[in-house]
Amino acid sequence: MTPPPGSLLAAENLRKAYGPTTALDGAEFSIHPGEVVAVMGPSGSGKSTLLHCLAGIVTPDSGSITYDGRELSTMSDARRSALRRSEFGFVFQFGQLVPELTCVENVALPLRLNGTPRKEAERTALAWMARLEVDDLARKRPGEVSGGQGQRVAVARSLVTGPRVLFADEPTGALDSLNGERVMELLTEAARSANAAVVLVTHEARVAAWSDREIVVRDGRSRDMERLV
Amino acid sequence: MNLRQWAADLRLGAKFAFTGGREGWTRVLLTAVGVGLGVALLLLTTAIPNALTVRHQRDEARSDYTYSQKVKPKADDTLVISDIDTTYGDKDIRGRLVEPEGPRAPLAPGLAKYPAPGDMVVSPALKRLLDSGDGKLLRERLPYRVVGTIGESGLIGSQELAYYAGATDLARHINGWQTARISEYGTPNPTPSSPDPVLILLVLVVFVVLLMPVAVFITAAVRFGGEQRDRRLAALRLVGSDSRMTRRIAAGEALAGSLLGLVFGTVFFLLGRQAAGELEILDISVFPSYLNPSPALAVLVAVAVPAAAVLVTLLALRGVVIEPLGVVRTARPARRRLWWRLLLPVIGLALLSPMIGKGRSNGDFNQVLVSSGVIALLVGVTALLPWIVEAVVARLGRGPVAWQLAVRRLQLSSGTAARMVNGIAVAVAGAIALQMLFAGVEGDYTKASRNDLDRAQIQVQLSRGTGADEAVAKLRATRGVRAAVALADGNLGSTSNRSPDGPKLSSSATIGDCAALRQVTALPSCRDGDVFVVTGAEYDTDTPALAKPGKQLYLDTSQGMDTGREVRWTVPRGIRKVAPGKDPSGMEHGGFLLTRGAVPAGAEQPAAQVYVSTDDDVADVREYVRNTAASLDRFANVTVWTRTEESKKFASIRTGLLVGAICVLALIGASLLVSQLEQLRERRKLLSALVAFGTRRRTLSLSVLWQTAVPVALGLLLAAAVGLTLGTVLLKMTATTVAVDWASVLTMTGIGAGIVLVVTLLSLPPLLRLMRPEGLRTE
Repeated sequence: MTPPPGSLLAAENLRKAYGPTTALDGAEFSIHPGEVVAVMGPSGSGKSTLLHCLAGIVTPDSGSITYDGRELSTMSDARRSALRRSEFGFVFQFGQLVPELTCVENVALPLRLNGTPRKEAERTALAWMARLEVDDLARKRPGEVSGGQGQRVAVARSLVTGPRVLFADEPTGALDSLNGERVMELLTEAARSANAAVVLVTHEARVAAWSDREIVVRDGRSRDMERLV
Repeated sequence: MNLRQWAADLRLGAKFAFTGGREGWTRVLLTAVGVGLGVALLLLTTAIPNALTVRHQRDEARSDYTYSQKVKPKADDTLVISDIDTTYGDKDIRGRLVEPEGPRAPLAPGLAKYPAPGDMVVSPALKRLLDSGDGKLLRERLPYRVVGTIGESGLIGSQELAYYAGATDLARHINGWQTARISEYGTPNPTPSSPDPVLILLVLVVFVVLLMPVAVFITAAVRFGGEQRDRRLAALRLVGSDSRMTRRIAAGEALAGSLLGLVFGTVFFLLGRQAAGELEILDISVFPSYLNPSPALAVLVAVAVPAAAVLVTLLALRGVVIEPLGVVRTARPARRRLWWRLLLPVIGLALLSPMIGKGRSNGDFNQVLVSSGVIALLVGVTALLPWIVEAVVARLGRGPVAWQLAVRRLQLSSGTAARMVNGIAVAVAGAIALQMLFAGVEGDYTKASRNDLDRAQIQVQLSRGTGADEAVAKLRATRGVRAAVALADGNLGSTSNRSPDGPKLSSSATIGDCAALRQVTALPSCRDGDVFVVTGAEYDTDTPALAKPGKQLYLDTSQGMDTGREVRWTVPRGIRKVAPGKDPSGMEHGGFLLTRGAVPAGAEQPAAQVYVSTDDDVADVREYVRNTAASLDRFANVTVWTRTEESKKFASIRTGLLVGAICVLALIGASLLVSQLEQLRERRKLLSALVAFGTRRRTLSLSVLWQTAVPVALGLLLAAAVGLTLGTVLLKMTATTVAVDWASVLTMTGIGAGIVLVVTLLSLPPLLRLMRPEGLRTE
């Protein structure tokens, strides 16, 4: 099977097992530039593993992942890391901000890892923080800001390199509904304005509602809800 | 708050300690090992004064005081005893020849009865040596049959080499210094045990230096698995326990480890006590039974160490807010103040300063002042270091990402880093001070020998009656001997020794063959029968008046021991004058030089000194010479000359110190590793997230290296400064010239830096494992 025409990132027949536990069992996925796709499913269904495979964080046992026409699953670790640094962005539920760096340093970190000089990196970081309405937190450390503010800082960080794909794994999982809504609003708005595709892993329908399309993962298999409709 | 609630909280904590899964058990075991090491070390240290006292008492109890001009009459309660100590390799052997003269002769401590002539009783260590292949040459020297062993009460150490051999005809050799008749053992004037003040200094410094790393290890151990414990404590808060209760429960967990540590400590102490019986340091060994800490001190240790472990836990929780929702936040640390941190080293120096210049011979050091001063100075390192680390890292500039991550981490929690490095700093400071002290004291003890080692390397002192010619012949025939010459001394008086006031004028006579006399001074020519007179020798005023041909003098070769056996001697014609010179031992000979043919018939065979030149390439040449000397004369005293005296002993102490320092630093390295791994585990999710968005593994590894290296570098700088200061003060206290031993400073700081590298290298595999994407999984 070939990836859908015009797709930026697509996966076919992905299989991945952790010991005796099968996490993915023939899962499929595709996303177009600027599209927001929600990956839904109950706990333990394999949705995070799918995200990790798509992002090149883990390699699948079998199957194919193509990004912009390139086969991801056969790339070296160094090339996948470089791809993640320059073309992908990430937002996680927990533990993503470096506690000892200030918020602006956290946001500037991916740019600095790419070799951007510090001042320039921090200038760009501040601009993104302003878009996410957290520029007043620039000199604070993550431990000094609220969960919602921290998550917005994390979104700013995920977008600062101008990624083509943003991976968000339960980005509102640790937030109350009001904060969650605001984060999703800012995240999708910023992603769309930057024409970034968003792979959104969530188990909450109200979060998935921000997406253009939903994929449900159950027992390691995926079902495209749009196609089913 | 009632006691029952306290006990219940502590009990609950103790229960958690053992039911906390693998991490809980690991923490308990690490704490127990740390506390155990501390307890064992303290118990051993508190037992040392007692051990030294027992040694001193036993040494006095077996003393056979032989120095006496008065000879006791023979009786049924007397014993003739000869001191025939010898040396084998670098080991001294206490040897005694004994001949009881009656049934009530005093029995030496540790003996059931005296061995018969030709038999000997030996110490267990000597028996082992004689039975081993290493003792083959010694076996030749001690040709007696082993019939028993000396009991513990007759020895001053488990590794002491000693024997009592049965002999006959000893009374003939009573001479007031080597052989004597005694009717009791023991010192006539017992002295209280007064250890060398330098030794006390060393023990005190070693004590502090060793204990500090153990404290650091305990600190690291109680923090192990902290994340899991924090979650548990938060859960307790959720079900209603208040913050004080939570802290008591945490203290209970630490107390469980400490109590187990007490058990470990007792076992370690008993094992160490047993092992101490096998050791010999500075030629001092002890029996395990000597190592008994005083009960009061033991109780103090048993209470103080677990209490300290609990205190460390509570201090570790200081600034930590445990909330019911599982959130554990570190409060923003207060800015560190410098003034009280500087007070400690200043107090230390103030306490030590009154003792500067006391010297080592009369060094009546006030032990309380010394120990307090040294402790204050070394503990000052632990107080100053956090301030220095904080002050310096706050000023560190920006750099690459790895550097930035490390510096920011240090800025956020410099206290943790400083705590980790404190142990290394104290150990290095202490070791530098000790190395300096040793280097200085070594110079004090190791004086350049005045012996001329180019002419002879061994001196054999024969007893009266042993033929010098035969001795020289046999020694020359000994394997590895290049040359041997014998010189004997006599006294020449203008009148007889028996005259009421002794001789009015006297001079010395040196007797030997021409080859031997040429070792004393340059002779124009020499034939047997020639006599020479030395003119211009130091302190020699009478010789010119005596050196007149035809003058009748009295020659006494008994060296003052037998004043009836002098013979008359007439100064011959043709006596030649020679310049004064020194024999190989460095002694200047004045007076008359007599070849053997010039000694009048009837003169007693004098006690000769044989100077032996050896080929050092022949292994065991010294033992061959000692064996030949012993076969010639059982009272012969052999001295091996070295360029510097005692140097070997101090070299081995310094090597021991280096090995000890490495062991201590390895222990601290282990603590550093435990803390490092614990920190990494706590940051598992963060590390995975950083890798997920493309952070290079090299960047994270480098940041771990910087994170350890920066505080260690600061710690080593401070340690070097404090170590050099303490070393200088200690040297000034012992009135020794201050000289910095840069080699040891570099070695110690190098080892400290090496520990950082090793810890970083060892933490890399777990770091790489923790960076795996599995860390991102939440299900």
